[in-house]
Amino acid sequence: MGRPAHPHAMAPPKPGRTRTAPPQMPSTWWSAPRIRNYLLFDATGIVYYLISFLAIGMVQALGRGPGAWDAVMTRLQHPAYIAFHVLCLVSVVFVAIRFFSLFPKAQPKMIGPLKPPPASLIHVALYVVWFGITAVMTAVLAGVIF
Amino acid sequence: MAEKTIVITRFDPDKDQAPRKQEYKVPCEPDWKVLDAVNFIKDELDGSVSHRWSCRMAVCGSCGMMVNGQPKLTCKTSINDYGDRIDIEPLANFPVVRDLVVELDGFMHKFESVKPWIVRAKEKAADKAALHATKGTYTQSAEQLATFKQFSMCINCMLCYSACPVVANEPEFLGPAAIALGHRYNMDSRDEGKAERNAIFRGEGTVFSCSYANECSEVCPKNVDPAAAVNQAKFEAVIDWAKNLVLPRGGA
Repeated sequence: MGRPAHPHAMAPPKPGRTRTAPPQMPSTWWSAPRIRNYLLFDATGIVYYLISFLAIGMVQALGRGPGAWDAVMTRLQHPAYIAFHVLCLVSVVFVAIRFFSLFPKAQPKMIGPLKPPPASLIHVALYVVWFGITAVMTAVLAGVIF
Repeated sequence: MAEKTIVITRFDPDKDQAPRKQEYKVPCEPDWKVLDAVNFIKDELDGSVSHRWSCRMAVCGSCGMMVNGQPKLTCKTSINDYGDRIDIEPLANFPVVRDLVVELDGFMHKFESVKPWIVRAKEKAADKAALHATKGTYTQSAEQLATFKQFSMCINCMLCYSACPVVANEPEFLGPAAIALGHRYNMDSRDEGKAERNAIFRGEGTVFSCSYANECSEVCPKNVDPAAAVNQAKFEAVIDWAKNLVLPRGGA
């Protein structure tokens, strides 16, 4: 293994009579495919953190007037910003797919007197809602509605 | 028969400052499980190797070890799934008593803390009458049993604790098997101890410490799916919180 876990991980409530070796975890724990997916899932939080600054900057530009807003719009056409937005899109899609795959089994077995719907139906409902909201927002942003 | 190199992590608390590796050449039969190779080493090559095992049929949960970095029930893991070299280590995230034997007290303490037994508010006259009438325990329908049966299949092998990234870093975390078992009793129609268990579940280092890595369910040899139990308990806690917020007396 080779990488120390927390020194008190799974420690007995009272020290035993025998000296024990401290708990360890595999040194390559992060490279196992499933854990890598989990770490990527969590790491997408960094992307949302960064884009929140961009969103705040855009709101501030909106408050400063048309000149500032046009400057921001011009800056967003830079390849770096486009790449960042592609990264955001990939992150959101990845998080949604992983979250949707794990969501059905987190449902309580009974909700009052009712059973939750089958996992396949929950999956379909989640994707329908996701695509529906995306379509409505796209239509709003494109000026098709409102 | 194929010779494989089995590398076992050794630790003798009387001699070793830290765990060390020791290699053994083992002539493996094609139908062997990993446990057979460890038993061969113990019986034929080095009697000082210490490990736990008992039933050899994935029921007792004693023979959990890390095999090539993954927590495995060694009596259920075919030796043919691996190449010429197999690394066998004690379960990750546990203090090591000796060689492949880990300290269980911490696990047992967490296990006990969730009250893994049927709690009745008090013995009722109706319960006693039912007990005498049926000459058995409290009745339960097949449908009621189905709501928690999956979570009662745990064999306490501790592989889920070994796989869990939260257990590795947060000593207070109750862990997957203990929460799954507590949740099993919470869902049992005969039980009345939900409030007591939820007080334990919803404190520090409990269901909300779980980050839903889902590793516990991936490594579970009995398909208990402890991640489902933990997250169902989490979901129920959120529903109760919302009920308490909007309904008088939490909707009770």
